[in-house]
Amino acid sequence: MNVRGHVGELACSLGLLLIGAFVLLDAGNIPQSQSFSGVGPRFFPYLVGTGLAVCGALLAWRALAGGWRAMPDDDGVHARADWRAFALISAGIVLQMVLIGWAGFILASVVLFVLVARGFGSVRLVRDAVVAVVLVTAAYLVFTRLLSLSLPAGWLPFL
Amino acid sequence: MEALHALIEGFAVALTWTNLMWGFVGVTLGTAVGVLPGVGPALAIALLLPATSKIDPTGALIMFAGIYYGAMFGGSTTSILLNTPGESATIVTAMEGNLMAKAGRAGPALATSAIGSFVAGTLATIALTLLSPLVVDVALRFGPAEYFAVMVLAFTTVSAVLGASPLRGIAALFFGLFLGLMGIDTQTGQARFTLGIPELLDGIDVVVVAVGLFAVGETLYVATYLNRTMDKLEKFGGSVMMSAQDWARSWKPWLRGTLLGFPFGTLPAGGAEIPTFLSYAIERKLTKHPEEFGKGAIEGVAGPEAANNASATGTLVPLLTLGLPTTATAAIILAAFQQYGLQPGPLLFETQPTLVWALIASMYIGNVILLILNLPLVGLWVKLLAIPRPLLYAGILIFATLGAYGLRNSWFDLLLLYVIGLVGFLMRRYDIPVAPVIVGMILGPLAESQFRRALAISQGDLSVFVTQPIAAGVLLLAALTVIVPPLWRRVAARRAARAA
Repeated sequence: MNVRGHVGELACSLGLLLIGAFVLLDAGNIPQSQSFSGVGPRFFPYLVGTGLAVCGALLAWRALAGGWRAMPDDDGVHARADWRAFALISAGIVLQMVLIGWAGFILASVVLFVLVARGFGSVRLVRDAVVAVVLVTAAYLVFTRLLSLSLPAGWLPFL
Repeated sequence: MEALHALIEGFAVALTWTNLMWGFVGVTLGTAVGVLPGVGPALAIALLLPATSKIDPTGALIMFAGIYYGAMFGGSTTSILLNTPGESATIVTAMEGNLMAKAGRAGPALATSAIGSFVAGTLATIALTLLSPLVVDVALRFGPAEYFAVMVLAFTTVSAVLGASPLRGIAALFFGLFLGLMGIDTQTGQARFTLGIPELLDGIDVVVVAVGLFAVGETLYVATYLNRTMDKLEKFGGSVMMSAQDWARSWKPWLRGTLLGFPFGTLPAGGAEIPTFLSYAIERKLTKHPEEFGKGAIEGVAGPEAANNASATGTLVPLLTLGLPTTATAAIILAAFQQYGLQPGPLLFETQPTLVWALIASMYIGNVILLILNLPLVGLWVKLLAIPRPLLYAGILIFATLGAYGLRNSWFDLLLLYVIGLVGFLMRRYDIPVAPVIVGMILGPLAESQFRRALAISQGDLSVFVTQPIAAGVLLLAALTVIVPPLWRRVAARRAARAA
């Protein structure tokens, strides 16, 4: 059996358990305005927190006892992960977040587009950039002119 | 025939130029997202939610419904020609349909799925027309306790019955319920789980969650794990003619598929996977050409395709009559109703009859448009499959970030989008279903308010859920859906072990 896979399963389970613990602890901070039914804004959070914690604990136990049940058999796929692609796409989204308010929607999105395409293995940088500029400009014009949504123009205020 | 009268008035509204236009846009977009791998109807509707908040609700909902059932038509094209199901409901179509395409019979495969989808969609719409008023009559007698019970049943069936592991499904459901808790409690005005971040006071927008899970998470997963394999697009000559023998072998599977798909859609056990698999199994048993199964049998395409369309239409019965979403897409459509201050349910049939019946009437029209779009024009859609993967996913992420940012022009929503995208990536990696998150997040706050209303009426007496027969019966059923399948599996395993 693939031991590394079980480490990931265990981590996911513990993450769920942690969220459950957070919900249970933080629910105590919700101001209790007692309505006459006796069920205030804390009851459902306690229920959900318990559910999350129980599911997390059960999944963690299964991860320790030989892995989760009924997992699809694609260890071959998962053994060959392309983390460079993961990093490129993540960088694209984070850059978009940083740039959008400052450089504007169009420039930030062109950067995102080119990085994602690169992450998917494209080596045709010029083609990607041209497609990006056309698509993003069209989307910008449709959304700001036709649907009157406001998007930051940034460094291209003439558009 | 009150329903017939209402339906005719609905047609009067649905046939206005504006609403015809929305319907046409909806089914066209639906076919497109069905054809494109990596985009589904839930994602498409979520992305359109912010952009449509200011247009007329009737037109917008006609468009959203069109996207939903249109995607079922388009999905089969991808499964047949590419063998990568665009939708989970078309996995079965991908088996026999792709084999038919490999044997040079792509045309008849595409034709039997398009015509079968039309037959099933139309029959299911008729069933929806007849059944909805009956369900509304029952639902009008529901109080908060009954509503809460029915919602719990929807929770358990969406998370525990579908999918490989009930435990992972329920974990996903609770995660969705947690997301739904965030923000200001509507009944007391108290902030919950906002971590002191003012942006979280309004709660997390469902657009961010749906787009994060379906677009960002999926893109990260495909790029990291699946990008090394290349898809092979089957040749398709352009003719979609069916021979007399194809017709003779298709019509019965269409009808049987419809009969299977519609009830599965209407039950809170939504989702089209089960009826498509059942339909495939039945056609395989009943066929006069068993030797063709596994090599590309037309019955194996006709039946499941009809089943998945009928079930998509069927899920609109609980959505419209009870306000109960049973699939991720139905949950997003519910969010669309809420965006206009509308709450689907029996009262909607009384307060907004023109909207409801125009929506139902639009589905008869939409199915005809879809038949035209998918038979003579199928060649155009096939061209979409030629878009190189890097450009397709880059485009998906542009629209994903645009949708999230456009909500309130805040970089915080992009951060949230990425974090939820990471969660979606992990869920995809470890085979945790996503639909329960969406359903839990949207239905959770409604379930909580029904629960609190029920207790307010009973003055805090919890036994109200056990003493009222309908509520108690439905809750018992919900408990059984969680308890019985694992027990059943254990008994079956023990029997198998004894036999061996």
